[in-house]
Amino acid sequence: MTTAPLTGARRRRPAGIAPTAILLLGALYCLLPVSWVLVAAGKSKAELFSTSTFAPGTGLLSNLADLAAYRDGVFWLWMLNTLLYAGGGALLSTAVSAVSGYTLAKYRFPGRNLIFNLLLGGVLVPAVVLAIPQYLLFSRIGLADTYWSVLLPQILSPYGIYLARVYATAAVPDALLEAGRIDGAGHRSLLLRIALPLMLPGMVTIFLFQFVAIWNNFLLPFIMLGDDQRFPLTVGLYTLLAAGANQPSLYNLILTGTLLSIIPLIALFLTMQRYWRTDLAGGAVKG
Amino acid sequence: MTRRPGGGVRTASAVPYLLLAPAMALFTLFMALPVAYTAYLSLRRTKVSGLGLGKGSRREVFAGLDNYAATLTDGELWAGWLRVLGYGLLVLVVMLGLALLFALLLDSAHVRLARFSRISLFLPYAVPGVAATLLWGFLYLPSLSPIRQVLDIDLLGAGTVVLSMANIAVWGGVGFNTLVLYTALRAVPRTYYEAARIDGASEIQTALRIKVPILLPAIILTTVFSIIATIQVFTEPTTLRPLTNTISSTWSPLMKVYRDAFVTGDLYSAAATSIVIAAISLVLSFGFLRVVRDRAFGEGR
Amino acid sequence: MPTNRLVAVATALLAAALAAGCSGTPQEAAAPEARSSAPAGPVKLTYWTWVPNMDKIATVWNQANPDIQVTISKQAGGDDAATKFLTAAKAGNPPDLVQAEYQMLPSFVAADAVADLSGEAGAAKGEFGEGVWGLVTLGTDAVYALPQDSGPMMLYYRRDLFDKYGIEVPKTWDEYAEAARTVRKKDPKVFLGTFSSKDPGSFVGLAQQAGAQWWSISGESWKVAVDDEATRKVADYWSGLVSEGAVDGQPYFTPEWNKALNDGRLLTWPSAVWAPGVLAGNAPKAKGRWAIAPLPQWNAGENLSGFWGGSSTAVSAKSPHLAAAAKFATWLNTDPQALGLLVSEGALYPAATKGATMLGEAPEYFSNQPDFWQQTATIAGGARGFTFGPNVNVTYNAFKDAFDKALQDRSAFSDALVKVQDATVADMQKSGFQLTR
Repeated sequence: MTTAPLTGARRRRPAGIAPTAILLLGALYCLLPVSWVLVAAGKSKAELFSTSTFAPGTGLLSNLADLAAYRDGVFWLWMLNTLLYAGGGALLSTAVSAVSGYTLAKYRFPGRNLIFNLLLGGVLVPAVVLAIPQYLLFSRIGLADTYWSVLLPQILSPYGIYLARVYATAAVPDALLEAGRIDGAGHRSLLLRIALPLMLPGMVTIFLFQFVAIWNNFLLPFIMLGDDQRFPLTVGLYTLLAAGANQPSLYNLILTGTLLSIIPLIALFLTMQRYWRTDLAGGAVKG
Repeated sequence: MTRRPGGGVRTASAVPYLLLAPAMALFTLFMALPVAYTAYLSLRRTKVSGLGLGKGSRREVFAGLDNYAATLTDGELWAGWLRVLGYGLLVLVVMLGLALLFALLLDSAHVRLARFSRISLFLPYAVPGVAATLLWGFLYLPSLSPIRQVLDIDLLGAGTVVLSMANIAVWGGVGFNTLVLYTALRAVPRTYYEAARIDGASEIQTALRIKVPILLPAIILTTVFSIIATIQVFTEPTTLRPLTNTISSTWSPLMKVYRDAFVTGDLYSAAATSIVIAAISLVLSFGFLRVVRDRAFGEGR
Repeated sequence: MPTNRLVAVATALLAAALAAGCSGTPQEAAAPEARSSAPAGPVKLTYWTWVPNMDKIATVWNQANPDIQVTISKQAGGDDAATKFLTAAKAGNPPDLVQAEYQMLPSFVAADAVADLSGEAGAAKGEFGEGVWGLVTLGTDAVYALPQDSGPMMLYYRRDLFDKYGIEVPKTWDEYAEAARTVRKKDPKVFLGTFSSKDPGSFVGLAQQAGAQWWSISGESWKVAVDDEATRKVADYWSGLVSEGAVDGQPYFTPEWNKALNDGRLLTWPSAVWAPGVLAGNAPKAKGRWAIAPLPQWNAGENLSGFWGGSSTAVSAKSPHLAAAAKFATWLNTDPQALGLLVSEGALYPAATKGATMLGEAPEYFSNQPDFWQQTATIAGGARGFTFGPNVNVTYNAFKDAFDKALQDRSAFSDALVKVQDATVADMQKSGFQLTR
């Protein structure tokens, strides 16, 4: 039996007006407020509160210059910090989630459900509640106000583990693992050679989400870090907003900074897009 | 199809435990320990002697269940729960409904401009919270809002502020949930749909009869996570609070925790309230899961 | 100025003597370093502050004092800053120096997070006025911080629009009410001013002007009187104006408020001496059109005002370098060079009495009012504050909730005031404070 029409893309597909239109409406709904950030970042201080909300401004270049000059370019330091926290954190988080998800999906052992429920239970405790106890814990070990204090707590992602487990269940066929085992592959090979490559699109999703979540996380770094040279963008921009009772908020810098903060995320998303185009060739084995 | 019921390999070795060790270690250190400390704090309170200024005038003492009693009898907290309930239902239905719709549309064979739509849907999730009050201030406040040019209603008034908040939540969360469901859909081999296509099923029929049932585990768990997230609603009311008089500092239960922990410095009440919130979230979410237990994971197919 | 140098030298000698001797306060394990008379290498201090350009001021100090090096860490201001510091103090790793707003200082003292500087910096008392010194001593013999800046309140108004609507600068609150009504009649889109339920600091300043005393100490007990007569007078006054529709009820510092300032739909802002920066940032097009005058008075002929904001420099109780930190804090807030820098780089209104001479030209935004600083000095002379209690955050938070609701329900503000009083008292009782009525 031929497996030719696996992707089905070879056949001519009629263009669908309705699905495209509905999606575009949704896209527009999501885009509009984001486009405001773009428009507002282009307004100078004088224009921000004196012109109509979506009217374009003339101040983008001067805002960018002001932001770069602010405190001798601390904004770029903040961006580098954020890249470190988000990149490093998301990588580690994806690795831990993928391995844990695969293990929970493909192995049966006593305590499996208990462990899974416990890990998921982490979602029940919001960051607001965990922040101060985590800070006190890190202070005990003497690691407060360091890069580790922001990286470590964000590696464990209950949501990521759940996603990984679902994905491992769907994408990694038991039969394939059986075949590998019969061929004499050890657990490590099964994991690294068979399971993880099949889980790639899911892992990309987990990486992307965790990257964005850490990139935009405010509360944890706010409590953990006292040294402003280690601030991520969220906390740094916040010092511009809550400038103290006596000082004006630097709105134009905040908005320009926000715009610049979104751009790397868009770039990341565009890069990761291609992983969603892949169909699962491994599905050929599923009958 | 020979699939072992329950899926996976039965093993007596230590391998799964080793593989799970990093996650468990992180969990213990950064979740279990802080939660235990929070539980400990919830049984304590501060006691002042004399004027309360200067050394040694403040002590931490055992308070028994006083904090819990205060939390459970706090009318404002229960009012908060009711508000969150109404808000949560609205957000859940709209956001998850849209997420499912968009995921199915993205996965359909006829759609164009899928990549553009995908990234557009994702963008709200990428906007950092620091600009949120500014952003929604410009979009909701009377003299600045383009919506107000068309509709003459107070978007931040007592009746409408819940809708405005819900809008922020849906806007921010629909892309994330769409992508989760979409990723799950992409994991399904196209062969599944071949049979249906050969039988002449339309795209919509394929979607409803085949894709949705396959997606059910993902939908259910996304719902559970969204339930938990909505119970813990904090960002949206906090974002709008500086702009209007209609949101108090205890509008949602988690805001009360934040107020106690970060504003009024009463870490002990905050701890007790957090435990109560976690307990209620646990009951609601796992209760929901129990109801739909068999569909939650496809392994038992 | 020779006297100041004498004080500085005396302080330095005192500090050196103390450092060489024994430190009286029990410290953590790190303390033994401070006790040895010859510290190896420069002392390194960290300072959490949100004053802009403080790092430039620290550089000046660092160059002149190679043995005490100060690193600035610029934080976000506001309530969060206080919590962050208290949490750090509780965890045992606070910064050596911290910017402490006056209303937060008592809670810092209550948490035993700041050190008593009376030994190292008590001599600086002469540099400051009585009112502001009282804010850092809390009426005791201890000195918990050094005053940095203050925020005396005055009336900012749109001179050009006053002319347009034919209004005189109000000298009493009755005149202000009349002017508010006049403006509303002339143009229903315009308000003379607004009452903000989100800024308890502003309301406190107005209450102080009327003579309020929200907290006071008698013996070992606290007395809480948030709803005392003076405050009620202020609350009912604004309540009346809001329900009449003579003033608006929108909060300050929102995009809407900024737009109203830009469009000329708000004609006055009773604010503090730091307002020029805010106005210049948000309404640059109205430059040169605003002016200041003393706040309207309750009784004609008086010259009273209150404070909105202002902070001090405190030293952590757990800092291993108390003397060095106190030395820097004293220099920062009393030395003429430092004061000049605070004015020019930090845009602060210094609390030190000699700071007034540092202010030369009027701020650019007020180029139309060359006697801006002279006026300010006169107004500041009549400004009075009050003692802050140990749980100001509770009070301020209750204020926001109660007054929000009052604005929503259009109920009397004095009822809201009672709620604030009750919340404050309840919180203090819960913690075990002794209260007298």
